[in-house]
Amino acid sequence: MTGLRVLVVDDEPQILRFLRPALEASGYEVLHAAAGREALRLIANSAPDIIVLDLGLPDMDGKEVLVEARKFTAAPILVLSARDREAEKIAALDLGADDYVEKPFAIGELLARLRSALRHRGGGEAQPMHVEVDGLAIDMDKRRVTKSGAAVKLTPKEYDLLCILARHAGRVVTHGQILTSVWGPAHKDDTQYLRVFIGQLRAKIESDPAAPTIIRTEAGIGYRFSEE
Amino acid sequence: MQERDLDRRPDPDALLALAGKETRGRLWVFLGAAPGVGKTYAMLARARALKRDGVDVVVGLVETHGRAETAALIEGLEVLPRRAIEYRGQTIEEFDIDAALARRPKLIIVDELAHTNAPDSRHPKRWQDVEELLDAHIDVWTALNIQHIESLADVVSRITGVAVRETVPDTVLRDAADIVLVDITSDELIQRLKEGKVYLPETARLAQQNFFTIGNLTALRELALRRTAARVDDQMVDYLRQHAIEGPWETSERLLVCVGPDALSEAVVRTASRLATGLNASWVAVTVQQPGREETDPAKAKRVEDALRLAERLGGETERLVGQDLPAEVLQFAQRENITQIVIGRSRASLWAKLMGRSLSSAIVRRSKNIGVHVVIGGSDRDEPAARQWRWLRLSGLPVGALAAVASVAVAVGLGYGLDVWLHLPNLSMIFLTAVLFCAVQFGLRSAVVAAVLSFFAYDFFFIDPRYEFTIQEPQEFFALLIFLVVAVFTGLLAGRARDQAQNVRDNARTTQSIYELSRKLSGAAALDDILLAATIYMHRTLGARCIVMMLPEDGELNLSVAWPPIDELDPGETSAARWAFDKGEPAGWRTGTLPNVRFQFRPLVTTRGVGGVCGIEPADPNATISPERERALNLILEQTAIAIDRSLLVKDSVKTAALEENEKLRTTLLSSLSHDLRTPLASITGAVTTLRQFGETMAPAQRADLLASIEEEAARLMRFVANLLDMSRIEAGALKPKRDYVDVAEVARAAVERARKVFPGQPVTTSLARDLPLIRGDANLLEQVLFNLLDNAQKYGGGAGVVVHARRLGVDVQISVTDEGEGVKPTDLERIFEKFYQGGRSDGRKAGTGLGLSIARGLIEAMGGTIHAESPAARRRGTRIVIQLPGAAAPAAAQENA
Repeated sequence: MTGLRVLVVDDEPQILRFLRPALEASGYEVLHAAAGREALRLIANSAPDIIVLDLGLPDMDGKEVLVEARKFTAAPILVLSARDREAEKIAALDLGADDYVEKPFAIGELLARLRSALRHRGGGEAQPMHVEVDGLAIDMDKRRVTKSGAAVKLTPKEYDLLCILARHAGRVVTHGQILTSVWGPAHKDDTQYLRVFIGQLRAKIESDPAAPTIIRTEAGIGYRFSEE
Repeated sequence: MQERDLDRRPDPDALLALAGKETRGRLWVFLGAAPGVGKTYAMLARARALKRDGVDVVVGLVETHGRAETAALIEGLEVLPRRAIEYRGQTIEEFDIDAALARRPKLIIVDELAHTNAPDSRHPKRWQDVEELLDAHIDVWTALNIQHIESLADVVSRITGVAVRETVPDTVLRDAADIVLVDITSDELIQRLKEGKVYLPETARLAQQNFFTIGNLTALRELALRRTAARVDDQMVDYLRQHAIEGPWETSERLLVCVGPDALSEAVVRTASRLATGLNASWVAVTVQQPGREETDPAKAKRVEDALRLAERLGGETERLVGQDLPAEVLQFAQRENITQIVIGRSRASLWAKLMGRSLSSAIVRRSKNIGVHVVIGGSDRDEPAARQWRWLRLSGLPVGALAAVASVAVAVGLGYGLDVWLHLPNLSMIFLTAVLFCAVQFGLRSAVVAAVLSFFAYDFFFIDPRYEFTIQEPQEFFALLIFLVVAVFTGLLAGRARDQAQNVRDNARTTQSIYELSRKLSGAAALDDILLAATIYMHRTLGARCIVMMLPEDGELNLSVAWPPIDELDPGETSAARWAFDKGEPAGWRTGTLPNVRFQFRPLVTTRGVGGVCGIEPADPNATISPERERALNLILEQTAIAIDRSLLVKDSVKTAALEENEKLRTTLLSSLSHDLRTPLASITGAVTTLRQFGETMAPAQRADLLASIEEEAARLMRFVANLLDMSRIEAGALKPKRDYVDVAEVARAAVERARKVFPGQPVTTSLARDLPLIRGDANLLEQVLFNLLDNAQKYGGGAGVVVHARRLGVDVQISVTDEGEGVKPTDLERIFEKFYQGGRSDGRKAGTGLGLSIARGLIEAMGGTIHAESPAARRRGTRIVIQLPGAAAPAAAQENA
């Protein structure tokens, strides 16, 4: 994994001070922008492979940068945000961010998210036909799901739910995104459906439904399908 | 009285009335035929029995009239003190209602229900006091003679020949829980009178001659017995209805009584009331107004109002109808309201109208179907025609109108003479007709009629042969003259009516216009005071009376908000009337049932959130009444004002809400900025530490050292934040106690600069410290913290240019300043930057700081007795200077010796 260019958009020099050596040590080439406009210019000119975007910027709102950037780049965008800004995170994900990392974060976590996001890069159409994790196997060609070799019976809605999560394995999918894609836009806010169906799904596919490992909850945001 | 119908379930009305009785106090009326039958005695005897049973009985007021037996009964009962009132040099003792309300007994005895209170009392009549006691859940026992019942007053007057002045409305009796009849035979009563048990001997003799005759007493006794019997009958019916017992009581009679401006109305209303009582029927008094023919005679208008008010007192409903066709309106209403009988008066004066087919009573008799009609023939109004003629002459503008009629007819005569001489016109009647028309249009109907009659005679006298005589030669001339008179009168009538109607329309238009003006003015005013002032000025103009408005502030007493023309304050009586109107939501004061001797009449201003205030009106002439038009206008004004008050309160609320929202927004901003400022160093530290862990071994030593340094710096930054926050909370909690040491300012300044240079190595700082600085009394550590905060700010906002720390002597004080060359602070923000959590630039503006530095600095400096302020621009249109001034201290004696 070398030669990939990552653009870090953050106005705190102290953040860059550790991000740069860490990212470089992992083989990335690091670009840096301290403000929104500079970031947009760099994205347009240098076409980074992945972008790390802090939502609080001095000249413009991080979400605006996101919207503008999405007009001309498909590169994965990873948002940095505080834990108490849930609404902001959801908005960013719905506006086209691929994932988020909460500040403060350990460098390992950030690197893992970067790798996950990069794996799905550009493969929006060529979706994985076969997913296998923690004894659970999903064969999307045959619409078959097995757990430790035994067939799992899923209702059509449960299956759709599982698929949308599995296709974005490793990345967070917001409640709104799931509801829109499985139930339709009219049910965008009916999170109670989701809680029920996720519960049923976990009961069928998780080894221990009380401590789920395959479908993880991102409290207040959405769900994340485990990658490994 | 309620309607009765066949219904096997308990009638909800009956149950409701029962429930109403339970929430109020209950009234027992001890009814007697005449004074001396033993009402008070009976009441007290029973009260003693109750008292023995442990009931909380209090004597509010009992008149013993010097009767020893009665006085003996009071012994042992608690008697409330009376209220002494000075009136015209005499001391009158009255029932003290406030004492009774304060004492709050279970049952109170208040004698003589029909008594009229002394002027300046809260209520003019005692029965109103009793009503208030009942409202306050106090049971009342009272005594009443049959002659004092309103609906029977005229009957009693007829029987006894003595006018009854003190009356009690029938409604009081109707709503009483029970009536106890105290009865003795007439002979026995006369015997008692003779024995002096009723009045003192001299009075007794007079009374016996005038009132206490066997005939009178027997008649009164019959009235009392019948009244009580009717009452018992009602109770029986009520009982049956409450218990849903089917019975033969289906009367469902409903009476309508027509009320007009004639003198008969009052008698008709009384008749109807008695009839209704006898039939156990409900009744309604109705008056019909013809649009365009409003009553212009105030005496007549007042008579209608009085009759309606009497009907209300007698327990009837009242209704005002509007329509052209009087009988049709009345009958329509009767159909709608299921009226079974109509009571109507017919006075002799209406004979002419009757001939014209316009008599209301005959029209109603002719046109009513399935409705019985009682016609009351007027008999006792013999003085009426005389009074009418006299009024006729005196009436509005007639002297002017009559003079005008005379003048215009004289002009017509002159003109006719001239024309007759020159042209020899065969018929001059048109000239006189012109005069009549002129009077009709200019001065109204009456003047026109006068002119017509005058013309008739003048024409005959001056122009019809033989001239200068009132005799007529030719028969055809006589007919011509007669026709002229008829034409003149009719023309005059029509033109006069047209004029009167036009006048009415103009008046209405004026009222409408001025109401419109008021509502425009009110809608233009947003502040409560402006609204009230506009309303009072307007009311003053419309009513010609002084108007005041009193409002209840959120905390405190009802007070005078605005008055026009201005007055300073109200006397206690006025204040209590206003208070009463406010509390009860009913009019009080002048011309009302409560405190009528007060100068003002107070009306509640009823807004959607209840009574918002009261409006007081002081009429220019206390003896005048408020005309129905004025009353309507006043009600309109009050409604408009109440709406405007409501609106202004809503505006106030919304402003308050907006302020709260603003506050909330600020709080959110503060929280997010604080969380950002704390999290950023934490993120740096966590990031650096995890990076070192993961990649430390592969990193170049210089890079590793840099990461370690960043951890150290960020930890220090975090520590400064936390220290600032702690300082702030200590200042706020008042827990900060600066030391009072002798401090060398220059030394502290140098230490602060030294520390700043270490923390911000890239920041150039120059110092300029005077040599002759006096010592100050204070805390060196805290002062250093302040200076460091200022330097920290200067580094943050100074844009990297030089920072100057300057200290000099200023009289006995020391002045220290820190100046940067940054963008400076807007003049409006010079004070705000000392507010907690205020930050230069955006809230999320990424200048690492808590927004606490300056507010901490101010807190500390003020704790040391100094001042701190900001100046901007500091020099060459740039930069900010923060100036601290601290009082110098006299050098300690020991220090001087050592030096």
